[in-house]
Amino acid sequence: MKEINIIIGGPQGSGIETSMSILSRAFTRKGYGIIASREYFSNIVGRHSYIVMRVSSEKLPQSIDLPVQIIAASDAETVFTHFDEIRGGGALIYDINNEKKKLNEVPSMENITKQRIRRKLESKGLDQAVSSIIEYLRKEEGIKPIGIDFASILSELSKKFKLDPGHLSRYVSTILVSSISTVIGLEDDYLLFGITSHFKNRENILKHNLALYEMVSERLHSMKEILPLDTPKLKIEKMMVLTGNDAVAIGKIVGGARYQAYYPITPAADESTTLEKYGHGTEGNQDIGPIVILQTEDEISAISSTIGAALTGARSSTATSGPGFDLMVEALSWAGANEVPIVITYYQRGGPSTGQPTRGSQSDLMNAIFSSHGEFARIVISSGDHEEAILDAAEAFNLAEKFQVPVIHLLDKFLANTTASVKIPDIEKIRIERGSIFRNGGEYRRFDASNSISPRAFIGDDGIVIWYSGDEHDEIGHIVEDPENRIKMYEKRMKKLELIRKEVPLNEKLKVYGFEDPEFIIIGWGSTKGVAVEALESAAKEVGVRGAYVNLKMLWPFPSEELKEIVGKISEKKIIVAEHSYEANIARLMAMEAGLNVGGKIVKYTGRPFFLSEFYRALKSILFDNEEKVVLTLGA
Amino acid sequence: MEHELNYRTDLWIDWCPGCGNFGILAAVTRAMKDLRLDPSKTVVVSGIGCSGKIPHYINVNGVHTLHGRAIPFATGIKIANPDLTILVHGGDGDLLGIGAGHFVALGRRNLDIVVMLHNNGVYGLTKGQASPTLPLNSKTKGLNLPNIQGSVNPIALALASGYTFVARGYAFDGNHLSELIKKAIQHRGAAFIDILQPCVTFNDIYTADFYRKAIYKLEGEEGWDPVVREPAETEEKILRAMRKAMEWGEKIPIGIFYENPAITTFEDRLSDILRGSYPKKSPSKSVIEKDGKSIFNAEIFEELFKDFIIEVKG
Ligand SMILES: Cc1ncc(C[n+]2csc(CCOP(=O)(O)OP(=O)(O)O)c2C)c(N)n1
Ligand code: SF4
Repeated sequence: MKEINIIIGGPQGSGIETSMSILSRAFTRKGYGIIASREYFSNIVGRHSYIVMRVSSEKLPQSIDLPVQIIAASDAETVFTHFDEIRGGGALIYDINNEKKKLNEVPSMENITKQRIRRKLESKGLDQAVSSIIEYLRKEEGIKPIGIDFASILSELSKKFKLDPGHLSRYVSTILVSSISTVIGLEDDYLLFGITSHFKNRENILKHNLALYEMVSERLHSMKEILPLDTPKLKIEKMMVLTGNDAVAIGKIVGGARYQAYYPITPAADESTTLEKYGHGTEGNQDIGPIVILQTEDEISAISSTIGAALTGARSSTATSGPGFDLMVEALSWAGANEVPIVITYYQRGGPSTGQPTRGSQSDLMNAIFSSHGEFARIVISSGDHEEAILDAAEAFNLAEKFQVPVIHLLDKFLANTTASVKIPDIEKIRIERGSIFRNGGEYRRFDASNSISPRAFIGDDGIVIWYSGDEHDEIGHIVEDPENRIKMYEKRMKKLELIRKEVPLNEKLKVYGFEDPEFIIIGWGSTKGVAVEALESAAKEVGVRGAYVNLKMLWPFPSEELKEIVGKISEKKIIVAEHSYEANIARLMAMEAGLNVGGKIVKYTGRPFFLSEFYRALKSILFDNEEKVVLTLGA
Repeated sequence: MEHELNYRTDLWIDWCPGCGNFGILAAVTRAMKDLRLDPSKTVVVSGIGCSGKIPHYINVNGVHTLHGRAIPFATGIKIANPDLTILVHGGDGDLLGIGAGHFVALGRRNLDIVVMLHNNGVYGLTKGQASPTLPLNSKTKGLNLPNIQGSVNPIALALASGYTFVARGYAFDGNHLSELIKKAIQHRGAAFIDILQPCVTFNDIYTADFYRKAIYKLEGEEGWDPVVREPAETEEKILRAMRKAMEWGEKIPIGIFYENPAITTFEDRLSDILRGSYPKKSPSKSVIEKDGKSIFNAEIFEELFKDFIIEVKG
């Protein structure tokens, strides 16, 4: 096979993330491209959690897909939840001790989910035990059931190393990854590399896991390589394997961030953890940082202290998601009024309210652009994938400092929690542009109105005294309510929007993928990029239509003229937008800012990612069946 | 630099005539003058309210922030540039109402900042509503009905939160107040001064007349020693300070309630965690670019992020 899709599932806390890390590293080591997205409940231990992974021998995959060829289930819930997501000669790896389990014996499953699955089972004439699903998959779908006795393997391990039986569940993830790699025929070395590099510095755990791998691969001897994956054809010597959170943290470090304040919230907090781990120290002869990471008492404090740090000249940022951003909005307005360069990394998740805290969404576009009282200039940018996220996180600081405005870097849970193998970005390309800085000496006016952008001096600079106020102020920074001053300062701040429009280069505003003379155009932003670009490829190959994807990178100020030029020659009916929301807010923004109407919308609001095949089907039904809006629902 | 500096700006001050804030302003600028603070290394950070306007009247760096948020703004400034002397000014609504969480957090961190509470028992700038320090059932002239909410004790709250210098001053005892402010500035760690501030316009209970009769000085008390000299004394000194904090009404103590120089400051803690690279290279000072480029090159990048990098051995 050229590529293979895999689901690994089990209770939250049982090592699903470990499995993802080990397998990603193992496959990458051999030269495959991988992408893996993680789904989980807002829960620490016990609820159903899983990853969907795509492994390719030919490319760095940009989206995940269903159905899969392999499901590896450590519990019965995984079998019940995903049995209709596997097809076509694949393999189901499961624990034989779960064979007799019935649907109503799964306590962690929501009743409403049980009902949904019961209906599915009934429609296929199945009774409600795992064994009957296995039988059905074998007979009807040609799936190879691979039953493993988890308990006996673990007890053997426990005897061998005298392990505490209470800790054995930690090793379940290795049973899963060992079986997957055996079935695919990944040579021992690679999986061992994956295990070793994941557990490095933890010698005992490493030893146990390696022994466990031996035990599993021995038992599955007859299953070796029943789903062989082609030898990888990518010619890449080194790859990075990282999550979206990691990507942003790395970009911030390279981009010269020096202060980050945050209040814990999913899916943003992991970014600060990575910053904390890599943001200081010495590498070679180079002193890195330090970046000070402050966990504050709330989001209000996070952004307020970020602004405070920025006033002293440090590159400062905070990271949050919807509920936290809402709390930051008052201070965002202060930063706008005082022309303070800060970066807010905004990871969208499902709302309204705490909505679906661990699921994905792109429904906060308007919140990022329009939140806050009063009018002021801000920049909102988005990243389409991991590589972009690294570069954009660094570039966000340049934009903030050059134009002296707050920058909101809008991402989402899908990107944050997706692990992907990517090429090492070209670090030499990263610029550090600090904008206009006051160095002349003499009298200083922070808000010198002779220009929309006044040179910055920093609090603490020798011989300079600076005032800031959220109230309307004069050039010195003192409160003034005079109408003439009001006009002058208001215009100074607002004119930045024109400057930004004029000075930000096209490729930082939007990028076009696909054919140069397209018959249709998909427009989207953020993590929609990967799936849309791959759907274009399918469309060209399978039905011979040429498409392009416009990845909107700068969402505010909106690149109206540039977008109009690109879609100008296409009939409105062939303009399609895609977004994880109900409204497809980007279409509204296009109408409002550029007077553009769209012919079709592909939306999804279950909180689950776009899967390539469903996205492609939706695209075809808009192009060929005159559908106007397709709502996608795939995924458990 | 020669510090024959005038610490007052020449702006017209828009407080009501007779307001206690005038006394606080005078005491602060006098303390600055006595300590010869460098205006470019000093920052006054305020919230919103009558008290919030104070930075504009002082000739040092001034950051007039949001209602309740002076402490977090100041926190970012101080952490990013620990060489600065930072004074936070806020009203009782500001620091103990909307900003109470930040007030507590600063104590826990023991960051080297001085917080001055303009305690007038009312929300001045929004016209006299009851503030968090106004006792239950009090009826000031701005209220239609007696205050239906209980009050918080600022001294006790500061002690409970971990401030390592806790004092109370009176707006119209300028000498005493400016001495307290100087000591607070010289103290390393989070310092809090509760300043009794008559609001002549809205508070007809806590008037200058009222305070003149009630106030007495802790320094004059036999055997009063608020300073923790041995770690073992800490608990006892906090308890004594707490007991004093409960006095209110006929007798109101001013002076230093508690002072503990031995607790590590937040800057020290950061320095430990960051293995000595802080504060030498504080966020405001460390180098981030070379000729407009990142200080990273491909080699350093790969070394630092080796956990994420996999060499393909296909
Ligand atoms: C978020 C927010 N809520 C409300 C206000 C309105 N506001 C302005 S001043 C003030 C009261 C200030 O009272 P206090 O903090 O006690 O200071 P004082 O005026 O008495 O010095 C309020 C509530 C505001 N500016 N911001
Ligand atoms: S309202 Fe009260 S606190 Fe405000 S300026 Fe007037 S007297 Fe002072």
